Amino acid sequence: MIIIGENIHVIAKTVSTAIADRDARVIQDLARAQTEAGADYIDLNVGPMRKNAEETMQWLVSTVQDATELPLSLDTMNPIAMEAGLKVCRARPLLNSASGKTDSKEQMLPLAKKYNCDVVISVMTDKGMPPDVELKVDSIMDTVAYANELGIPNEDIWVDPIILPVSTAGEGQGFAKVSLEFISILEDLLPGVKSTVGLSNLSNGVPDELRPILSRTYLVMLERNKLYSAIADPLDREFMRLVRGEIPQVTELIHKAMDGESIDLPSLSKEEADYVKTAQVIMGQTLYSDAWLES
Amino acid sequence: MEYHAPVEAHSGVVREETIGNGGKALKIGGENILPFHFFDEGSNPNPPKFALEILDMEPVGWPEHLLEPFKDVVSNPVKWANKCEGFGADAVFLRLVSTDPAVNDSPADQAAALAKTVAESIGVPLIVYGSGDDKKDAEVLPRVAQLCSGMNLLIGPVVKENYEVVGRAILEHGHRASALTPLDINLLKELNVKLGHFFPAERIVIDPESAALGYGMEYSFSLMERVKQLGVIVKDNMTQMPIIADLGAECWKTGQAMQDREQGLLWEGITALSLLMAGANILVLRHPETLKLIKEIMEVQ
Repeated sequence: MIIIGENIHVIAKTVSTAIADRDARVIQDLARAQTEAGADYIDLNVGPMRKNAEETMQWLVSTVQDATELPLSLDTMNPIAMEAGLKVCRARPLLNSASGKTDSKEQMLPLAKKYNCDVVISVMTDKGMPPDVELKVDSIMDTVAYANELGIPNEDIWVDPIILPVSTAGEGQGFAKVSLEFISILEDLLPGVKSTVGLSNLSNGVPDELRPILSRTYLVMLERNKLYSAIADPLDREFMRLVRGEIPQVTELIHKAMDGESIDLPSLSKEEADYVKTAQVIMGQTLYSDAWLES
Repeated sequence: MEYHAPVEAHSGVVREETIGNGGKALKIGGENILPFHFFDEGSNPNPPKFALEILDMEPVGWPEHLLEPFKDVVSNPVKWANKCEGFGADAVFLRLVSTDPAVNDSPADQAAALAKTVAESIGVPLIVYGSGDDKKDAEVLPRVAQLCSGMNLLIGPVVKENYEVVGRAILEHGHRASALTPLDINLLKELNVKLGHFFPAERIVIDPESAALGYGMEYSFSLMERVKQLGVIVKDNMTQMPIIADLGAECWKTGQAMQDREQGLLWEGITALSLLMAGANILVLRHPETLKLIKEIMEVQ
């Protein structure tokens, strides 16, 4: 599993302040910490970038490259900033991201070709977010075909099904299952393509202390369905241990829960039982509530 | 080819709960079918019940046509409660509006004493709701529970902000809790789970919030429907409680109901019928004519 470290993200106040003040130390510390924790890529999420887009992106890329050898994932919706960043990347970067939206097809995908980089393509279209597996398939087939015509091979494409919050009243749990299924059939649909997800979006809206276990559990589930990579928090040590397969009994329990096997919770440790309950919630076997670990 | 109507059987059962003691005992819930699915396997041993609402003070802002059936008794909650019983209500629902700090901020002791007197003066069980101010309810409802100890009242609304103090008092004095959450299935389950850490699920009734026709009723409808599906089909232990639909007050707040008697009765009646179909087990109404109308319809089926 390829882990794209998510921690340099403008939503974090420390990061947005550091970028505005050109404070290299804060950014480099985050890059080094993620590198040491075992990340494979460093994501630079700079948002839409309205001011000084080119200069800011180039400063950020150079600053991070001075601290780590890892390849970068450039995460912006602004094609001008994207191109500026791609120009100065040393290692082959990941363009994060393009989609089936007209703007994105016309402005982002050609950049992936021009700079010969890997590219994330999400299932998003001009109509919005396709809600079920069939519509996600329709969307991605179209966009990948378009990318192929531009000369981007399947092997350079990382498909993103778009993860939505599981806690959204009623529908969130259904969406979590849809993405699992979509990932499982991707290999047959588009041979050679890779995949990725923005993992932490699953736990958006969930109390902070409960977010990590959702990410950890969902990753194990997606990995079983052949997910290639995830944008996630490598500083979560337990998460990285699971990624490396170092807690096989938990992985096995999560797989059993995915299969709907009945599991004797009282015979498990609290930690193991929590993973099982979390997997059962993600699979929609029990109704989500913020108290899902308490019942 | 001969047509065979599909018949479904589910293994989930909504908990059967009793409000009140002895001759006043009223059973709600207990069904293992979806609402009005009499063609499926299973049954609803306790058809829906109806409470009429009274206040602990003279109503303010009620239209004349709502006040009319009670106009000789609204200054006396005990007489008002007796009159409700006379109209055929299965239970009386007492709302302690005067305790609201924004109304009269009347003391907990006074409200509790009234609840006790009303409970003792009627031959049907009593449901007691606080004003809805969660802080004040945390004083008032435990006092009601204590003074009415052992009467097995249904007391609410127990909410996220006060469930520990209110829940413990309700439990200690042998009552039942009506757990209220704002129109959300996940929050509804969460409150039941949290309450369930110390409070038996067999003594919880779900109040999912009942919006009036034209004012979000469809949200209440879908939510109740979902609670029943999860309880009866999926067997989610934390949604297998009977549902109370506290709809009268919501309906009579609407401009349409205020305007005109006929329109008001229909507003309350259609909301009640809809929520019945969604699965409400006990409905709280304000107008005795609505009660009569709905009861007649229920007898037809």
